[in-house]
Amino acid sequence: MPPLEVILQQAFNGLMLGVMYALIAVGFTLFFGVLDVIHFSHGDIFTLGAFAGLSLTFLWTAVGLGSPAIALPLTFLGALLLTGLVGVLAERACVKPLAKAPPLMTLLATLSLGLVIREAVLIFYPRGADPKPFPSLLPGGGFEIGGVVIRYENLAILAIGGAAMVLVDLVINRTRMGASMRAVAQDAEAAQMMGVDLDRTVDFTFFLGSALAAVAGILNGLYYSEIHFIMGIMGGVIGFSAAAIGGLGNVYGAILGGLLFGVLQTLAAAFIPRGSEFRDVVAFAVVMVFMVFKPTGILGEKPVERV
Amino acid sequence: MIAVWAIELVLFALIVAALLVERPIALGVTVAAIGLLSLVARTSPRIWRWATTSFLIHRAAALAGAGVLALALPFFLRASPYWTFIATMALIYVTMGQGLNLQIGTAGVINLAGAAFAGLGGYTVGLLTVRLGLPSWLAVLIGPLIAVMVGALLFIPILKVRGHYLALVTIAFGFIFNILMNNLEFTGGPQGIKNIPTLRLFGYAFTTPPTLFGMTLPSHANFYYAALAMAALVTWLAWRLYNSWVGLTLNTLRDDEIAAKCSGVSVTRYKLLAFSIGNFFIGLGGAFYAVMVGFVSPPDFDFGYSLVMVSIIILGGLDSIPGIVLGASLLIPLPERFRFLHEYRLLLYGAAIVLMLLFRPRGLWPATVRRYGLRQPAVEP
Repeated sequence: MPPLEVILQQAFNGLMLGVMYALIAVGFTLFFGVLDVIHFSHGDIFTLGAFAGLSLTFLWTAVGLGSPAIALPLTFLGALLLTGLVGVLAERACVKPLAKAPPLMTLLATLSLGLVIREAVLIFYPRGADPKPFPSLLPGGGFEIGGVVIRYENLAILAIGGAAMVLVDLVINRTRMGASMRAVAQDAEAAQMMGVDLDRTVDFTFFLGSALAAVAGILNGLYYSEIHFIMGIMGGVIGFSAAAIGGLGNVYGAILGGLLFGVLQTLAAAFIPRGSEFRDVVAFAVVMVFMVFKPTGILGEKPVERV
Repeated sequence: MIAVWAIELVLFALIVAALLVERPIALGVTVAAIGLLSLVARTSPRIWRWATTSFLIHRAAALAGAGVLALALPFFLRASPYWTFIATMALIYVTMGQGLNLQIGTAGVINLAGAAFAGLGGYTVGLLTVRLGLPSWLAVLIGPLIAVMVGALLFIPILKVRGHYLALVTIAFGFIFNILMNNLEFTGGPQGIKNIPTLRLFGYAFTTPPTLFGMTLPSHANFYYAALAMAALVTWLAWRLYNSWVGLTLNTLRDDEIAAKCSGVSVTRYKLLAFSIGNFFIGLGGAFYAVMVGFVSPPDFDFGYSLVMVSIIILGGLDSIPGIVLGASLLIPLPERFRFLHEYRLLLYGAAIVLMLLFRPRGLWPATVRRYGLRQPAVEP
C-alpha cells in the first residue's frame, strides 16, 4: 500500500484531468438530453477550442495586450464565442437535418464531421501536424500541505473549470433559456406547444456545450503546455465515456463521470506496473464493466421501453 | 444480353483507363467521360430503366460478364504492381465490408471496432507463423476464429446495451485493442510483427510472378486472384444468408427488437450469430492482409480504419450486398487515384460521407425490398 500522501497527490492530479473531462462530458450529455443524439465531433470541437485559444493568445500579444491578467480572460471569451458558433454550425449541418433518421446516421455524420474538423486543423493551421507549445498564462509557484504539492496553476485550472460548471448549472436552472432546455429535454413536442422555440433552444444548447468544450481545450493547453490536432479523438471518446458512466442526459452525472474517469486514469497510471501505458485500457475496461452492470450510468434514469 | 456485356465492357475500359492514364489531360478526359455517362444515365429515366431492366433480366449473364472482367483485370494492370495491389485491397475490403454489413446493416448491431477485429485476425496470423512456425494458409484460417472468439467475449456487454452505448462499448474495445498491441511485449509493441511468411499453397509460393497465357503478371496478381476468390465466396455466402430465413429474422431484429421477441425470435442467439459471422469475415480480411503485406503493426488497425469500413457500407448502401461491393471498389481506389489531393484526402473523404448521409442516406446502391415467391423480377417504378 503506497503512503497516503502519494495517493492524495495522484488523486489531486486526477482531479485536474477530471475537470477537463467533465467539461467535455457535460457537452455530450446536454446534446443527448435535448436532442437524443451523440454529437461525435464534440471531441474535435474541443481541439478547435484549444487552437482558437492558442491563436488568440498570439493575437493579444501582437496587439500589445500580452500581460496574462488581460490576455487570459480575453482568450477565453474569444475562443468560447468562436467555438460555440462552430458548434451551432455543426448542429445545423449534421445533426438537425438527420434528427428523424436512425441514430446510426447521426453518429456517422458527426464522426465524419469530426474527421473534417480534425483534418482542417491539420491542413490549415500553420505546421498543423506538429504539437504546438501553449503559452503559460497562469501564475507559477505553489505550496505544500501534508506532503501534497499544490501549484497555483493547478488551483487556477480547478477554479476556472469549477466556475464554468457552476455557471452552466445556473444557466440551466435559473434562466428562461435553461427552462426551455429542460422542457425540450422532457418532451420536445409539448414544449413547442407551450411556446418554446425549438430551433433556438437547440442552437443555444449546442452553443453552450461547444463553448464548454473550448474551456476544456484551453485548460488542456494550460495544463500540458502543449496541444495537438489529434487530441480530440481521445478527448471525445473519454468525454463520451464519462457522460455514459454518469448517465447520459444528466449534467451532474457527467461531471461526476468526468472526475471519476480522471482520478481512475491517474491512479491506474501511478499504481499499476507500467500503468502509464495501460491507463486508458484500465479506464475503458471500467467503462465496459459499467455498461454491463449499470448500463444507464450512475445517475441515469431507468429507460422505459415503449412498444 | 449483348447489351449488358457491352455496358460492362465500356465501364471496364473506362475504369482501367482512369486507373492507368498518367497525363492529367487524359485523366480529365476519362473522368469527364465517366461523369457524362453517369449523368446521361441518371437524367434520362428511359435509358436508366432500359439498362436496369436488361441487367435484371440477364442477371446470370451480367454476373458471368463481371466475373470474366474481374479475372481479366490483372492482365490490364500488369504494367503496374501498385494498382494490382490496390485492387486486391479493394477485394479485402469487400470481404470485411460484407461482414460489417451483416452486423450493422442486417442485424443492427453497431460495431465501430471493425479494424480491431481485422487486427485480431492479422495479429493471430503474425503470432502463429512467426512465433510458432505454423504454415501461413493454416494461420489464415485460424485468424478469423480468434476474432470470433474474442467477439463472443465482447458480446456479453453488447447484449446488455444498445444504440449509443453499443457504439461506446465497441469504440472502447477498439482503443483497448490498439493500446494493448502497442504496449505488449509478445505482439512486438509499436514495431508490430515483421517477416510474416507469404502464402504457400501446394508448394507454390505467392511471391513468384505468375505466367498466364504467355504473359507474366506482377507477383501481386497471385494475391489478387486469391482475394477475388475469397471476396466472391464471402459475398455469395452473405447473399445466401441475406435471402434465407436468417437474414429475414435479423432484419426483424434490427427494425423492432420487441416485435421480434414477441414473434418467438431468440434475440441473443441471432445477434450472436450475426456478430460472429460478421467477425469471421472481418477477421478473414485482416488475416489475408497480414500474409499479403508480410507484417502487421498497430497503426494498420486503428480507429480510422474502422471508420473506413463503416464508410464503405454507408456509401454502398446499408443492408445491400451488391452495394458493399460497389462501395469498396469506389472508396479504396479513389483516394489512391487522386494522390495529388493527398493532403486533403481525409478531409474530402469525411465531407463526402457527410454529404452522402444528408442527401442519399440509403447509399449508392440501396437495398431493395425483399421479394418472395416472385419469379419474374418486378421492374422498379
